[in-house]
Amino acid sequence: MSSVTLSRVRRMYAGVAALDDVSLSAPEGKVLVLLGPSGSGKSTILRLVAGLEPVDGGEVRIGDEIVSAAGRTLPAERRRIGMVFQDYALFPHLTAGANVAFGLDKLARAERDAEALRWLDRVGLKHRAGAYPHELSGGEQQRVALARALAPKPRAVLLDEPFSGLDPVQRAHLRDASIAALAETRTTALFVTHDAEEALLVADRLAILKGGKLLQEGAPREAYDKPACVDAAAALGSINVFEGRAEDGVIATPFGPVAAPGLSLGAPARVAVRAEAIAVTPGSLARVVDVRPHGAHDLVRIEAQGVIWRALVPARTSLSDTVDVQIHSAGAFAFAAS
Amino acid sequence: MALDYGSPASRRPTPAQAGETPAVPVDGVAIAATLATLICAAPAVAVIALALAPDRAGAAFGSNLLGDGAVGTFALVMLGGVGAVLFGAAAAWLVSLAQFPGRGLFEWLLVLPLAAPSYVLAYAYTGMTWANGSALEVRGLWGAAFIYAAGLYPYVYLAARAAFVSQSACALEAARTLGAKPRDVVWRVALPLARPGIAAGGALACMEIAADYGAAQHFGLTTLSTAVFRAWYAHGAPHVALQISAVLLLAALVFLVVERWARGRASYAGGSTRWRMLPRYELGPLGGGLAAVFCAALVLFGAALPLLWLGRLAVLHPHFVEVAEPFANSLLLSAGGAMGTLSLACAIAVAARRATGIGKASLYAAAMGYAAPGAVIAMGALALFGLAREAGWIGGLSSSLALAALLWGYAARFSAAGVGPIDAGLTRLSKGLDASARTLGAGPWRRFAEVDVPIAAPALAAAALILFVEILKELPATLILRPFDFDTLAVRAHAYASDERLLEAATPSLLIFLAGLLPIILLTRGLARSRAGQR
Repeated sequence: MSSVTLSRVRRMYAGVAALDDVSLSAPEGKVLVLLGPSGSGKSTILRLVAGLEPVDGGEVRIGDEIVSAAGRTLPAERRRIGMVFQDYALFPHLTAGANVAFGLDKLARAERDAEALRWLDRVGLKHRAGAYPHELSGGEQQRVALARALAPKPRAVLLDEPFSGLDPVQRAHLRDASIAALAETRTTALFVTHDAEEALLVADRLAILKGGKLLQEGAPREAYDKPACVDAAAALGSINVFEGRAEDGVIATPFGPVAAPGLSLGAPARVAVRAEAIAVTPGSLARVVDVRPHGAHDLVRIEAQGVIWRALVPARTSLSDTVDVQIHSAGAFAFAAS
Repeated sequence: MALDYGSPASRRPTPAQAGETPAVPVDGVAIAATLATLICAAPAVAVIALALAPDRAGAAFGSNLLGDGAVGTFALVMLGGVGAVLFGAAAAWLVSLAQFPGRGLFEWLLVLPLAAPSYVLAYAYTGMTWANGSALEVRGLWGAAFIYAAGLYPYVYLAARAAFVSQSACALEAARTLGAKPRDVVWRVALPLARPGIAAGGALACMEIAADYGAAQHFGLTTLSTAVFRAWYAHGAPHVALQISAVLLLAALVFLVVERWARGRASYAGGSTRWRMLPRYELGPLGGGLAAVFCAALVLFGAALPLLWLGRLAVLHPHFVEVAEPFANSLLLSAGGAMGTLSLACAIAVAARRATGIGKASLYAAAMGYAAPGAVIAMGALALFGLAREAGWIGGLSSSLALAALLWGYAARFSAAGVGPIDAGLTRLSKGLDASARTLGAGPWRRFAEVDVPIAAPALAAAALILFVEILKELPATLILRPFDFDTLAVRAHAYASDERLLEAATPSLLIFLAGLLPIILLTRGLARSRAGQR
């Protein structure tokens, strides 16, 4: 296993930057999650690391080896990087066993078949070795794809939204199984998703991307607790945004002050407050617009001075028509507006 | 003309494709596509360009011939085309939306008439009615119209059936919940939704009628196609032949445009991706019986009767020894032509996927060649060879040159027939598969041998078979361009029929018919497999 590092990587499509000056790294044996909406460049990063596309600037390293630089690309087939594709990309003309064996062609035939079976067994599909991809369910296909990517003992494995085609129950089950397999084999992994919850569950490290730019990279807890900007905060959960000016180190929102350390007096600022960082008690500050159940929480919309915010409060909190509002400083962030 | 498998829709390149830098500075695909464009478009363009050149002979008979031919073609297109549309649409509706005895069987039997070219049907029917001394003789304008309607309705049937099957059950059920009676649903929802499909199939059938030479010639009719031959052989007036060819080409292009336009509109009918078993209309004993008789009659007149008749003659009066040499010639020529045309079609299909200018141009050029009747392509190729000879680039029209011209003509005419199936094969060969093979360490040769070839091979084989049979059936282009004394099955059948030796014509006709059945079987297997909800 090796680390994967991107340094100041740039990638252009028809004159538009799909990736702009992105630097990040997946430490050896850890899972780096790339989180962002579609078009953020997260899948492009995987294709660059896999060697399926060249970089237009910067460099990609696997361990100490520079595999991509402007004008120089080590071909994908010589990188020893495994990849699980979003649509799995199983070979339709080969059985599950032969799919897994495809990357093991350096081994002698008997050894190769045994190794492929061992990997299928590991993902619980030994009994389906003779089945063709179209005979497998979506979840089974996903597991074959994972086994196929891991079997040749790659230096790192890339997973492109690997669970996106599955229903929620299967998804949770397969996610746990896949994370266990990655951890057990101490595989360096780059994992792409647009699902914040999945990102926090899976990540050892988390990179948040938007519009081809890296917004933040760090430990998942840190990214959640100390977002680098409003967009980074929004990537990991529902937030309320307010624009105002800093006064006396705070910004006054209709629902109460938010600390703004380091912002000079009168500077325009943006405030992001996580929905789960808002508590309500009986009072008169804000009007309750409506209450909707949201799993273990209720989603409450509150209004003050014409501004509506959303708050996640413990389910079945009894609410009067008007409430007072407390903002927990751990989930409230102020940024200088650009 | 071949069964239509659908041409590749215009595809926007994904960012990954658009941003890819070519591995080699010289783009082989673009060069091949340019070549393909030239090869496919040259004969048709030459016909138009040379027809516009000033007429040196200025023969008055030319305009008479042209006028008579235009009237004849128009009459046949109207009669035969309307018949094909009525038969095809009715059969498609019955098979797709109604329930009657034998429905599942008729679903694929109804396609069989596509196997026989019109001239083979014409030879079979004249023989049949002569032999029986039947009062109802198949001849003249009405005879030809009958042959076209009976033989070409499957074009409409296939297109309309696809339209009916792709109709969402929801649209039909929505009409019911809005208060429409079952019969109203047919007229107000199902038929209007299928109209573009019916129009596209009808245009294809009309294109075939306009292009036909063999049957019209056999019935002694003057059409644009037969007029080209008459001007060329009887009057020795190449310029008149070119002018008539140009008019014929324009007519065919009109049908092509109609077909493309209608097919584009047909996509609105298939909007729903959810597929459910359409509720079928129970026709009752009388209605069901009539439906079965109707479908049986179509299969009987379009395929079974002529096939049985030709088979009977071939057994009672075998002429296999006489047709041995044409048979071998046909095999060689069709195999060679199929290979050449297939490589051209591959270049076009690959280039078209890139959605570049040259890719689109090659697709249009192939479509134009496909629409152009064989006689037109042949006149164009001849004219170009004539120009090359005048310029001193080549000598006289030797046998090998004539063969080259013939292979060129086939390629120009049939490339488009190969593009559809190849494109279907390329669709299975997604970019993702190539990428995943690469990340598993497979180099270019291993990817080619172990991924590309096994996945695309069935489609390539299907395309090769289709092209082989199309070329085997092609009469007018072969008749004009073949080397001296080089007979194929089609040419020999035509020669016998022209001498009114229908007994002898039966054996080569039967062989052509049987060969034509091969791609039909392939197509019906594909149809069954492509059905949603069915493995």
